[in-house]
Amino acid sequence: MSQQASATPMLTAQRAGLARCPACGVLHKRAAVACRRCGKRVHQRVPFSLQRTWAFLFVGVCAYIPAMTQPVMFTRSLSERTSNTILGGVWTLVEDGSSAIALIIFVASVCIPLLKFVIIAMLASTLQFSFSMSTATSHRLHHFTELIGRWSMIDVFVIAILTALIQLGTFMTVVPGIGIDAFAVSVLFTMLAANSLDTRLFWDKYDDVRPRSG
Amino acid sequence: MASINAGNRVALDDLVACRSCDALYNKVDLEFGEATTCQRCDNVLQTRKPNTVDRAIAATLAVLVLMVMALCLPFLGLSRAGIESHISILDASIELWREGFVWLGVSAMMFLVALPLARFALLAYALLSLRLGLFIGATHRRAFRWAEALGPWAMIDIFLVGAATSLVKISTMARLDVGLAFWALLGAIALSVYTESVLCRDTVWEAMQPR
Repeated sequence: MSQQASATPMLTAQRAGLARCPACGVLHKRAAVACRRCGKRVHQRVPFSLQRTWAFLFVGVCAYIPAMTQPVMFTRSLSERTSNTILGGVWTLVEDGSSAIALIIFVASVCIPLLKFVIIAMLASTLQFSFSMSTATSHRLHHFTELIGRWSMIDVFVIAILTALIQLGTFMTVVPGIGIDAFAVSVLFTMLAANSLDTRLFWDKYDDVRPRSG
Repeated sequence: MASINAGNRVALDDLVACRSCDALYNKVDLEFGEATTCQRCDNVLQTRKPNTVDRAIAATLAVLVLMVMALCLPFLGLSRAGIESHISILDASIELWREGFVWLGVSAMMFLVALPLARFALLAYALLSLRLGLFIGATHRRAFRWAEALGPWAMIDIFLVGAATSLVKISTMARLDVGLAFWALLGAIALSVYTESVLCRDTVWEAMQPR
């Protein structure tokens, strides 16, 4: 697939002087207008797409630090009070023998966010500093991040459910910590970062280079 | 926009550009069930699905009914030492807010209640108007556009996995049972996946084309 993909420089809408509406797909002869069909703003390439991606990614990474270091959950029962970070919670689950649940939380809260940071930073870098990465690979990695990004929110919902459900009060209470708010912010901003990267830029670089070398 | 005359508009509508790589193609006439993909990035270019409006309306309305059930009926119940508590998603979100966990409450409200409901309500509005042959104006097209844009931000599917995880997590401490809302949510998710698969954007946008 990648061979096929890299072997065909093509006429793009931009080269034909057209702009595709990002929402409904209809083509326009002029950019920077409201789409005649759906009203969405139409651009040949989303302006400042790369800057926006970097900015959102920066917030996402910054928010991830308190998300990991601060407690996400305080548990109070008659005998003890404990505070848990995300990693602490995973470890507790492993010790309790619920390895499967621990794995879900670990993948959703640690692996996916870190993977997304690295992938988005890599993709943005290829555009910013012209690192060499195959366009097909960039394309596929971007698709992958958009697909998995939302699933990091699992832990936020778990804490929300536990908090709401265990308000029985008599034997135990669960109180969410600041870490989970930071975590939610991190996930949402990373989603925004992936969304705001204009994938057409990956192919532009390629389209620009190809005719000159050939 | 005034510069585009009628002749150009016909030509423009005969072309299609790839969403993700901008490659330009001539539109082809598809049979029902066929689709074309971009030669270089494999993204879907054109689709044509049979009966798309009817099927999508049916599924969308069913999702709305199931969503309301899923939000208002008891979702999970917890019992230990004779004390029982049942809670619906809507009550839980409000409760989180009232207990002072504002952001968690707001997130739950947004991603589980407001955005999913808005998405399917907008979809139902646009598609029903189309089906009933009403005048399709800018509002309808905007509604359909927004319904599409809300997709990734409606997180009921993720919530269900979270709920299943919590179930296992507390099962050691207390007896848990799942309420009717749990199954309603499962149904809503299944049907929203179905909506996704039968909804043909090309057909709908074409039908909504301003004339």
